[in-house]
Amino acid sequence: MSAQHAVNGTLPPEPERATLEGRNKVLGFWLFLGGECVLFGSLFATFVALRDQTNGGPTASELFQMPIVALATFILLTSSLTSVLGILAMHRNKLAQMQAWFIVTVLLGAGFLGLEIYEFVEYYHHGHMLTSSAFGSAFYTLVGFHGGHVLFGVLWISLLIAQSYKKRLTVVTAPKFYVASLYWHFVDLVWVFIFTVVYLMGMVE
Amino acid sequence: MENHMHGEANASTSQPKRVHRHTGVKNHLITFAVSIILTAIAFIAVASESVDRNTLVPLLLILAFVQALFQLYVWMHMDQKGHGFAALGMYSGAGVALVTIIAFVLWVWW
Repeated sequence: MSAQHAVNGTLPPEPERATLEGRNKVLGFWLFLGGECVLFGSLFATFVALRDQTNGGPTASELFQMPIVALATFILLTSSLTSVLGILAMHRNKLAQMQAWFIVTVLLGAGFLGLEIYEFVEYYHHGHMLTSSAFGSAFYTLVGFHGGHVLFGVLWISLLIAQSYKKRLTVVTAPKFYVASLYWHFVDLVWVFIFTVVYLMGMVE
Repeated sequence: MENHMHGEANASTSQPKRVHRHTGVKNHLITFAVSIILTAIAFIAVASESVDRNTLVPLLLILAFVQALFQLYVWMHMDQKGHGFAALGMYSGAGVALVTIIAFVLWVWW
């Protein structure tokens, strides 16, 4: 019933759900995110089980610096907001505005990655490495896996933005942005648990 | 799909239940502000070292879960109609994750 939207030049208010393909893409992505929950859940479980096995190396409370974690958290939370503002702009059929918000999202994501790399280098110099202890392995696997997701999101959304200059906003491109935004929120959601379980609880000891 | 009966005709105000998505900037800004406040509470609670450890850990977890629900329901729009399967997928995944975490914690620490 909604297929004509692409033809007559006007965009429906929810372009990501205007076609069956779009709706299926969104549903499929939610199911993928359910699977991601399981993956991250396993990594969290491993981390929680091994967090005290430092093998003589530095402990969580010795390593973690609150200011840098707070800054990273603020950056990622803000990027979640900017990506949802991008989607709201998309719902109003404002292409330039949507692109601007997603560009901000990508820049914030890159800033977060920069902080994380700086942090990992610092830890390395303190003798906290992937192979130095069970704590190290669990920490870098969990936090690094999340960082990998951020990196993937940055690249993915960058490519979508580049493509949107050529393909504009249609019922075909809208679901792609919607799904990328869902992904970005999910990555932020995982970070909420990382800063809580890994960093804040690590500093509590 | 019974919930896709919205066309251009009723995109403004005739169908309140379906429309708040398009007017939700304020809603999202409020959620963002609350998220920042909850995060700040979590960080301050740890930094000030004034909260007893046995209450601090549950407090941090509760704050995280509230934030997670914000992400899912406000920003990822799971509060809206037609997200039944999405919720099923997420809660199945979260359920498996939770069971795994509980199993590991019990296995290693008790």
